[in-house]
Amino acid sequence: MSKLRRNPPRVLVTKIGLDGHDRGSRIVASYLRDAGMEVIYTNPWQEIVSVVKMALEEDVDVIGISSLATDHLLVPKLMQALENAGLAHIRVIVGGIVPDLDEVELKKAGVSRVFHPGSSREDIVATVDQLAAQALQARPTF
Amino acid sequence: MGEIKPEKISDVSEQVEDTNAATERWQIEYKTQLGAEQAIHNRSGIEIKALYTPQDRSDTAYLEKLGFPGQPPMTRGIYPTMHRGRTWSQRQLIGLGTPEHFNARVKNMLKAGASALSLIPCNSVYRGYDCDQVEPELLGTCGTVVNTVEDMDTCLRDIPLDKVSVALNDPLPFTMLAQMLAVADNQGVSWSKITGTSNQSDYISHFVANHMFYRLSLPGSRRVLLDAIEFCTDEVPSWNPLSVVGQHMQQAGATPAEAMGLTLSTALQYAKDCQVRGMDPNKFLARFTFFFDISINLFEEIAKFRAGRRLWARLVKERFGVTDERLMRFKFHAQTSGCDLTRQQPLNNIARVTVQAMAGIFGGLQSLHTDGYDEVLSTPGEGAAKIAVATQNILKHEAHLCDVIDPLGGSYYVESLTDEMEEEILKVIHKIDDQGGMYSAVENGFVQAMIGDSAISFQEQVESGEQVVVGVNAYQEQEDASARPVLERPDTGIMQEQVSSLRKKKAERSQVSVDRATKALRETTQSEKGNILAAEIEAVRAGLTQGEIIAVLREELGFGHPLIVA
Amino acid sequence: MSGAENNGLSRLLSGEPAALAHAISIVDNELPVAKDILSAIQPYLGKALVVGFTGPPGAGKSTLVNRFIGDMRRQDKHVGVVAVDPSSPITGGAVLGDRIRMSEHTADAGVFVRSLASRGHLGGLSVSAARIVDLMDAAGHDVIILETVGTGQSEVEMAEIADVRIVVLAPGLGDDVQAIKAGILEIADILVVNKSDLPLAKQTARQLKGMLVLRAAPEREVPVIETNALDGAGVSDLSEAVMNQHTQMYRPSCRLNSQSRYRRLLAQATGRLAEKLVQQQENADLDAVLEALTNAEICLDKAACRALLMFKSDSLND
Repeated sequence: MSKLRRNPPRVLVTKIGLDGHDRGSRIVASYLRDAGMEVIYTNPWQEIVSVVKMALEEDVDVIGISSLATDHLLVPKLMQALENAGLAHIRVIVGGIVPDLDEVELKKAGVSRVFHPGSSREDIVATVDQLAAQALQARPTF
Repeated sequence: MGEIKPEKISDVSEQVEDTNAATERWQIEYKTQLGAEQAIHNRSGIEIKALYTPQDRSDTAYLEKLGFPGQPPMTRGIYPTMHRGRTWSQRQLIGLGTPEHFNARVKNMLKAGASALSLIPCNSVYRGYDCDQVEPELLGTCGTVVNTVEDMDTCLRDIPLDKVSVALNDPLPFTMLAQMLAVADNQGVSWSKITGTSNQSDYISHFVANHMFYRLSLPGSRRVLLDAIEFCTDEVPSWNPLSVVGQHMQQAGATPAEAMGLTLSTALQYAKDCQVRGMDPNKFLARFTFFFDISINLFEEIAKFRAGRRLWARLVKERFGVTDERLMRFKFHAQTSGCDLTRQQPLNNIARVTVQAMAGIFGGLQSLHTDGYDEVLSTPGEGAAKIAVATQNILKHEAHLCDVIDPLGGSYYVESLTDEMEEEILKVIHKIDDQGGMYSAVENGFVQAMIGDSAISFQEQVESGEQVVVGVNAYQEQEDASARPVLERPDTGIMQEQVSSLRKKKAERSQVSVDRATKALRETTQSEKGNILAAEIEAVRAGLTQGEIIAVLREELGFGHPLIVA
Repeated sequence: MSGAENNGLSRLLSGEPAALAHAISIVDNELPVAKDILSAIQPYLGKALVVGFTGPPGAGKSTLVNRFIGDMRRQDKHVGVVAVDPSSPITGGAVLGDRIRMSEHTADAGVFVRSLASRGHLGGLSVSAARIVDLMDAAGHDVIILETVGTGQSEVEMAEIADVRIVVLAPGLGDDVQAIKAGILEIADILVVNKSDLPLAKQTARQLKGMLVLRAAPEREVPVIETNALDGAGVSDLSEAVMNQHTQMYRPSCRLNSQSRYRRLLAQATGRLAEKLVQQQENADLDAVLEALTNAEICLDKAACRALLMFKSDSLND
């Protein structure tokens, strides 16, 4: 019991756009759970306005977007929507198939990190941990 | 294997003694040189030995276990000639942007000698939405935007539908098929001449994995598939309305044995559903086809296909009483698995695809798609696609892989492994039988849990390094990102035009016809007697878009929510 | 509380979702300002109807909750949902997947959903679940749904928090209806047999009705309702039954008079602490007690008394 964190990081793992594969997101959710985090796991095809609402209600630290095809092209819109909703402190990562040029654009839009196929468990967990700590620092006061 | 005709009993026992001595000697020398070893298991969990000999073939009944191609048990192939008579069809998937773009590419491919084409629609279409219903960034990037019968007409302009085989990546409720049949009418081509396959007709596999293709509720999907099979059996007799898909489940993490077992179980479920409906197995079974993933585990995949082929022939006889051997044919298309390809050092993927293709060829497929090496980076570019096709031609013409039917037949290893894979596959089929069949087994999440466990198990093997992936967890290199190919994206202007043109079409069509067809479609769906595919054909003729048709069916039959297991 | 926190409090009381979400985190993480917030909201409690759903996994509870939310929304009620899933006892983490079944309501501003992990609490509900329900009450929700998986003690815990307690069962689940713990029948205000399309459903409903007669207080009426969460059949009957229960409740909302709940929680917590101390402490007095116990010189109960008496206050610092 003493291993339980006081504030376990809360991470929303979700998909926007059209794709429906969930092998990758399910594996990442299990990595994060194994590292003591709380993962809110959703079904695919979420609208951006829904992602923002979920992130707000669940008071998450990090949002993980699983993306295949070109769904990641919608992420800049998500970043803007989060800012508009006063949730700019939430860190966003994207995992999946993202061409290099698009990765540059995503970073410019404020995405903290893009994970490609073959990313290791250690890397993912350490990154999310770090980002959750950043989000905690940056959150507005009650 | 020839029969041993000993002249004296002592000769036989001498031979046995010699064999035993030789075996023992080899075992001792092997152990002395290698010491203690970890057992090796393949992905399906079967232990693999270092050496296989005649002693592993306890059963030497050739006719019973192997037989000849085109005859039961079908192990060596479904046709007497296999690839010597007709090499596998090369079906390269094409899908990009607009119908015009698609039409141009297809014409090039046909000129270059292809005899079959495959149409992949845009992801928006896969989800059942028209181009004016989704965010513009998502349009035309992975497939062709085909919303109306006019779009389909453009796709197929000047393509002789009575001569070219068409594979439609057209999930249930098969709006693309409806559009294509209407176009055939316009071309003056009789439906009886149309050949091809509804590639994504297996709604159970979409419910379980690759959810993008899953559009209607489970019971609704069941109804529509049966309507489509019935319709095509009568009206489009050379069309394969059903392709049972193992690819999605294997890509979601199922082991090769599980993928084959689950796919065969699905096919048995569909066959039972057809039978319950009153359809004749002697008719509908002839049009059942399969579609599999080919992973890089060369021998395991070969054994998987041979075992599957043998099992199917036996199961349809046992469970449906068919005696016509043509109905026992396990016809399958296969695609090299994108899951084995890496982003790191992408050119290595050419080697991977080559091995996967060989596994499929030795496994006796009827149709093959080889992935481009850039599959994991983005939508495949033309250069990579050309290499993928060349790979097949090299295997065919330079490596002479078609000269001998089932060349690995009789191999001590391959036959032993085929038997063991058959056992594993049967175990899965029996587990599904215990759940009451595949439909129930996916409804309650049993299948999803099985696949999820295997996915995690494999991930752990990669994480621990037990399974080496070159360039990823071993043999890594510092890579130059700029060396990676840049992908082509459709011109956003062109996509905008597509959206405007759709809006224009909607404004110009006869609202009276549209309303009438919508009402008819709704009524057919509500009545248990009407055929939904037939109603869809009328609907597309009246100008309804695929998004509109699917919206009506979703309202009447239920929106498809796949069972997501967290 | 600081001025900023007062501001947060008033935003919470006016129903602002961001403030509610933030307050929930503060309470769930037991931060210092939590007690201030909780005491400040006390005057505003008691307006919400708290409906608890529990039941074994596989009964289709989440799908039913989804339908129930829809019914509540059709009646223009503001709904709050607390969905609790177990944390891993080994890693402390959790995958919270209850939102998957509620996808229709994801974008509805009239529904607020919070997924909670049990965070090591053995009963299945976190200690803060009741307090989080209070926060939602103070924020102005008309109906608050508390959803938990029926394992271990969670039925009992849910019973202490919810005004109307619903147990969802499915026909043929885990053998016979006889396998259902008797405790469930004492707790449930409404019994639901989901998957009413299955052939065993009617039989299961009949069996339940029969068993209800054997309860300690058989005069309390407990409706048994058949539903099919997949197509919505029976859901309006369920909503009606919930509203009836609310207006004719046989016992007052025990969530607000929660001393008995906290007494039980305290008893469990002290028990765990004592267990830990006995297992881990090294001292001569304890050794003497153990020696005596081993040699059968004293009985176990006596040994327990002596052990408790010997823990001085300084040894209790965690």
